[in-house]
Amino acid sequence: MRLWVTERAAVLGIPISTRVLCETAVDRLDVDGAVLSVDNSSRWLETRESTDLLGAELAELEVTVGEGPSADVRKQGGPVLVTDLDSRASQYRWPAFAPLAVTAGACAMFALPMCIGAIRVGVLTLHRMRPGPLTPQALPDSLAFADLALRLLLDEQAGLPVPVDGAAVDGELPLHAPQVHQATGMIAMQLDLTMEDAFVRLRAMAFAGQRPLAELAADVVARRVRFHRNGDVS
Amino acid sequence: MDDERLVETFVELADTLIDDFDVIDFLHLLVDRCVELLDVDAAGLLLANQRGELQVVATSNEQVRLLELFQLQNDEGPCLEAFGTGKAISHPDLGAADAKWPRFAATATEAGFAAVDALPMRLRSELIGALNLFRAEPGELDPTALRTAKALVDVATIGLLQERSIRNREILTEQLQTALNSRVIIEQAKGLVAERYGLDMDGSFAALRGYARSHNLKLSDVARSVIENRGGNLDLVGAAKPARRQPRQGTSE
Repeated sequence: MRLWVTERAAVLGIPISTRVLCETAVDRLDVDGAVLSVDNSSRWLETRESTDLLGAELAELEVTVGEGPSADVRKQGGPVLVTDLDSRASQYRWPAFAPLAVTAGACAMFALPMCIGAIRVGVLTLHRMRPGPLTPQALPDSLAFADLALRLLLDEQAGLPVPVDGAAVDGELPLHAPQVHQATGMIAMQLDLTMEDAFVRLRAMAFAGQRPLAELAADVVARRVRFHRNGDVS
Repeated sequence: MDDERLVETFVELADTLIDDFDVIDFLHLLVDRCVELLDVDAAGLLLANQRGELQVVATSNEQVRLLELFQLQNDEGPCLEAFGTGKAISHPDLGAADAKWPRFAATATEAGFAAVDALPMRLRSELIGALNLFRAEPGELDPTALRTAKALVDVATIGLLQERSIRNREILTEQLQTALNSRVIIEQAKGLVAERYGLDMDGSFAALRGYARSHNLKLSDVARSVIENRGGNLDLVGAAKPARRQPRQGTSE
């Protein structure tokens, strides 16, 4: 995954970016386009990248009618994989969006969350003009693309430098470790912050101290480290 | 094993599948019943995320030490083996297992466990996770218990799919990923509540769960609400139930 994106960036002579990632996804996944949207401060999804016009149209359509697969992803926290927007099930689920999307030319949409629990970063939405599922290989790959995009956006938020090689992107972010999330919750309470901001603080502290994130998180959970509102950490 | 309780369990699980279904609540019910029916001391259900990392989504005991034990198994241990081979793995005496899984065996023994079982969760050819059982006394799980454990694992897999035709990869993926993310929300809420009320992680989880039960709400919904309101809207501490069964050798937090 990382390798494909890195290769493409290298060929084009540009750094790894969400743009490159979207284009690589379209190349590799048997879809026609990709849209990367981010949660903005007003809690709306804002389109940040779109590899084609149809993608931009679909994103705008969802906002206009107030429903659709990407909107549902934000509610559920999990992917919404639509193999046929023209099916009865889809038309029932999105009576305003589905027919308009089909008219616009999209028959399949795969909306993948970029989030960490309650921290909503955005959605990666893939579309295809032809209906049908993602292949058994493309399905996990699509999740991997969303995961990589999440990490790129988090690094950006944390003010970390854009990586020039794939290894740095994966870096040191063990999102499967429960203590990272428990620590985030504790810090949110200690500093009266949102989960998003608490997570940024946790990461920043780990980076500043050159400590593995999981280790610092374990310290926070064990109450060996506390974050104070005046900026101290003890 | 109490036959009547076994029947009751399957009826309960079946009812959950038909009624207002919630994956997280369902899996928590399942691991609790495992502890009761199989006469084990702790049970945890792990699912693989799309990077192949095993993540706990439900456990009978939220103590940090136990979670660590599950987590460790991304590097070594019975769950990793079960998940990798698709076979049930067990070790009746962790004291003697240190050659096989040095870190895991040491950590498990320290946490008060002497025997372990891991059963893979399989959907046709695809492995999606594992059920992990721990006992404080050494010895093998008896054949009836093992058969029941396998049946419960299958029920868990079916529960994740919610339909009999197990052809639909989209639904499985949606369910799995949603369950994994819901678990993260619960972890975040646990941290927030622990900090707010001065509880340990086990106590924090008990408060969340106690509240969900007594108000007939989904645990995931309570977790979300707690995060939105910083735990101030709910009488969580009042709802905390007494701690569940602990491993017999003391493991204080």
